[in-house]
Amino acid sequence: MKVLALIYGDEASWEAASEEARNTVMTQYRAFGESADGRILEGAELAPTRAATTVRVRNGKTIVTDGPYAETKEQLGGFYVFEVESLDEGAELAAGIPGAAHGAVEVRAAHEEDSE
Amino acid sequence: MKYLLLLNNDAASIESWHELSEEEARNLREQEMPRWNQLFGWMSEQGIDVSGLELEEASKARVVRVRNGKSLVSDGPFAETKEVIGGCFLADCKNLDQAIELAERVPLVGKGSVEIRPLVTH
Repeated sequence: MKVLALIYGDEASWEAASEEARNTVMTQYRAFGESADGRILEGAELAPTRAATTVRVRNGKTIVTDGPYAETKEQLGGFYVFEVESLDEGAELAAGIPGAAHGAVEVRAAHEEDSE
Repeated sequence: MKYLLLLNNDAASIESWHELSEEEARNLREQEMPRWNQLFGWMSEQGIDVSGLELEEASKARVVRVRNGKSLVSDGPFAETKEVIGGCFLADCKNLDQAIELAERVPLVGKGSVEIRPLVTH
């Protein structure tokens, strides 16, 4: 089954981090990628939430606003799509994501028939 | 340019969905299908390379944190919000305008919202 892992963290501290600190984190992510043993189908870092755009349609009119849907203390900064046997396995794998050590990772199971 | 589009459902609509019988839920789904098919048709016309996931409900989510080397797992989504992520698209669009046009065509955008997040390319 496919599991979506949403990585939440404090983007202000990430942006304030030195290049050295960022490189350390990137190395950790590469190591995680290698340790995941082919179970990562997809994954990416997202541009900061100030680059987000939220779209709604109400009464036939499109409303476009800047910024994310929800203002949260920690922001969605990246994601993975895992191919695993269960949500439990997805959660176990997610614990190895470097971001889980200071932020939080939400894992969500996908419907089998609709995933591509 | 690659974008992650988060498809946010109105939480109240999801709640009322649970009160429907299996048949009612199936009928509603079938009513919505043509609009989803139109969206997929439009994306292929536009040459948008896309993959998507429809997610199980947010109440079945787990949140994982690791503190002092220990893994802490809690049930439920990361944030309790009026809208909840019901699915996502990973779409390669020409630009933000095209991503917005895509978002406008997502059936649930009339009740919920679509959040567009550009990907960082390393």
